[in-house]
Amino acid sequence: MPFQSQGVAKYYFMAAIALFAGQILFGLIMGLQYVWGDFLFPAIPFNVARMVHTNLLIVWLLFGFMGGAYYLIPEESETELYSTKLAMLLFWVFLIAGALTIVGYLAVPYATLAKYTGNDLLETMGREFLEQPLITKVGIVIVALGFLFNITMTVLKGRKTAISTVLLLGLWGLAVFFLFSFYNPVNVVEDKFFWWWTVHLWVEGVWELILGALLAFVLIKVTGVDREVIEKWLYVIITLTLVTGVIGTGHHYFWIGTPEYWQWWGSIFSALEPIPFFAMTVFAFNMVNRRRREHPNRAATLWALGTGVMAFLGAGVWGFLHTLAPVNYYTHGTQITAAHGHMAFYGAYAMVVLCMISYAMPIMRGRAANSNKAQVLEMWSFWLMTIAMVFITLFLTAAGILQVWLQRVSDTPLPFMVVQDKISLFYWMREWTGVVFLIGLVLYILSFFVKGEEQAKAA
Amino acid sequence: MSTESLALPATTGTAPPERRLAGDLAIWVFICAELLAFAVFFVAYGVARARHVDMFNTGQLTLDRNAGALNTVLLITGSWFVVQAVARLRGGDPGGSAGRLLLALACGGGFLVVKVFEYKAKFALGISLSTDTFYMFYISLTFFHLMHVLLGMVILALLWNSLRRGPGPTTLSSLESGAAYWHMVDLVWIILFPLVYVMR
Amino acid sequence: MSGAFTKSMARNIFYGGTVFFFLLFLALSFDTHQALPKRDHRAEITPQIAHGKKLVEVNNCIGCHTLMGEGAYFAPELGNAIARLGGREGIKGFIKSRPAEGIPGRRSMPQFNFSDDDLEAIAAYLEHVNKIDDANWPPNIQG
Repeated sequence: MPFQSQGVAKYYFMAAIALFAGQILFGLIMGLQYVWGDFLFPAIPFNVARMVHTNLLIVWLLFGFMGGAYYLIPEESETELYSTKLAMLLFWVFLIAGALTIVGYLAVPYATLAKYTGNDLLETMGREFLEQPLITKVGIVIVALGFLFNITMTVLKGRKTAISTVLLLGLWGLAVFFLFSFYNPVNVVEDKFFWWWTVHLWVEGVWELILGALLAFVLIKVTGVDREVIEKWLYVIITLTLVTGVIGTGHHYFWIGTPEYWQWWGSIFSALEPIPFFAMTVFAFNMVNRRRREHPNRAATLWALGTGVMAFLGAGVWGFLHTLAPVNYYTHGTQITAAHGHMAFYGAYAMVVLCMISYAMPIMRGRAANSNKAQVLEMWSFWLMTIAMVFITLFLTAAGILQVWLQRVSDTPLPFMVVQDKISLFYWMREWTGVVFLIGLVLYILSFFVKGEEQAKAA
Repeated sequence: MSTESLALPATTGTAPPERRLAGDLAIWVFICAELLAFAVFFVAYGVARARHVDMFNTGQLTLDRNAGALNTVLLITGSWFVVQAVARLRGGDPGGSAGRLLLALACGGGFLVVKVFEYKAKFALGISLSTDTFYMFYISLTFFHLMHVLLGMVILALLWNSLRRGPGPTTLSSLESGAAYWHMVDLVWIILFPLVYVMR
Repeated sequence: MSGAFTKSMARNIFYGGTVFFFLLFLALSFDTHQALPKRDHRAEITPQIAHGKKLVEVNNCIGCHTLMGEGAYFAPELGNAIARLGGREGIKGFIKSRPAEGIPGRRSMPQFNFSDDDLEAIAAYLEHVNKIDDANWPPNIQG
């Protein structure tokens, strides 16, 4: 590890993995509730489990992004972090705030939580993914500003590279678009309109800049390909991302009361959204094929290639499947959406964070790469989790197609709950595949504790 | 396209030197993306028109073909000046090149003026994106294109500025890139105008 | 084929392209805001409807249901629930009658113990949502 202060990333990565485990646990609870309706009812109703599942995802990815940035920025800037103390302070603030929020979700009814956390002052709660109490939202903003201050100052005092610029842009964009979560007009159409300015412009906008920057960084390190080559392709790919993705927001404006021209604009531009993901996959494979060194960390290379492929499949292909308005008319808000969401988040964001962890963690622990034994175990976990996710997506897609047919397309549409009963087989298969995913995750965590002969020492 | 270009540096040595791509590869990727977006938009127009032929034919009659034709002439003339600007710079005459860019900018400006009058007349009738599918496409396509004309003009203005301050080693490549972009804007209009204003 | 491919050109195109498409997005959003009042019936929003929206939010209804297709996919669509359950009385009756301990083996909505005023507000809000012109979505009454 070239710079001492990069070490703070270790805490962020450990927190990310712990919260990831929590997310999967609650995912399994929800999966069971799908087929065994009164499981844990009324102690943990589905809505609470789901809130914990999705919020843990967001928070662990944010921990991953921040850890990634703390590791990447000093190395790119060739200087120590502006303030290691601030980074550690914010780590604890964010972890404690996040933990308290989750405890709040589980311990008291949501309405009570809203009442005691100032939701009456400014009503922001109860909207999908933005369920956090007002004080948590404010906390997120404070942590984000402190974090951005820290890394921006680091970049300003050191070398400025394309990778660090793109990462900064992505992270600043993340903070700026989060501000729309504070805007909740009483008019539900406007509410939904701007809700997407946080949600869509995050995951199909600025987060992709973060994804691109983290991936480019790892590719430079593991392949030894010239920075100039990687950075110019990074720019080309993120250009395509934003060219298609920003207007692509329109694919959420089909059926929420917004004017009908969005059906055309949204369909046209989001139909092009797979292109940047495809370019990213081709880019990752090309760079690895043209590698100038054999980096001992093969697991990190595997994650880098995997994130390209899975992001393309999950976000690109599964997104395209239901993004055209005439198709989306029938698939909107069904298990098809859930299928796409799972693979896209895993492929694009979970995997890029795991890729960054895979590359950086051994170095922070004093070696260029883990022992062969540990890497083999990590690669097993890669395949188990990834294949499990592919099958979760396939089962949900099958459930979704049946749901769409029985509930919306057929001549005698059946009620929602009747349809849910009829497709429960696929929910069972999804749940068992979820168990396989959990096994993959357990192996992943175990791989950190596997010893074995030491690989080459870090430079 | 990505695969081929990614393999570029390895094959550079063997490629015949005369097959040079004018301008920067990055602008060509961008141009391809833009052309693809327009192409999908045009296909969507065709699909929508096939479903509402009468609506599209009626709507088309209300469009100002003269303004459209004038704008076609303006854009083609602008492109011609841009070609001249590249030729002059290649011939070692940056001053003349900058002058041609100004003339091209004037053509772009003329396009904007004509377009503003055309829109004003339509908006005065209360026509908007939500009027019907035909006007939705008319406004969307022409406005999307208009923004490209504006972007093209910003690029030409920046190039003019760099020529005025004295050309450097990369100026020719930049000018070629900007010219390619401007020709793309022109090309799209040459498809858009007959498609939306004329073809029945 | 050979030619230049420079990082500075790629960077300039990134900035230019991003600003361009963001401005275009803002222009479309501006037009949307001009067009919305005709579709969202905002003039009809009463304090009661506003209260209903708040109740739907602070009880995290979209943690199970979808509202105009957005939310969770565990329970039926709310946007047209007023029509599906037979008007305000149907909605109120359904919410009121949920057993506190759930239904053995099946999914059940929690018992929220709403007051009559709250129930009325929720029903009024759902009635308002049902009127929003959302391009004839959902395809049928089943949501």
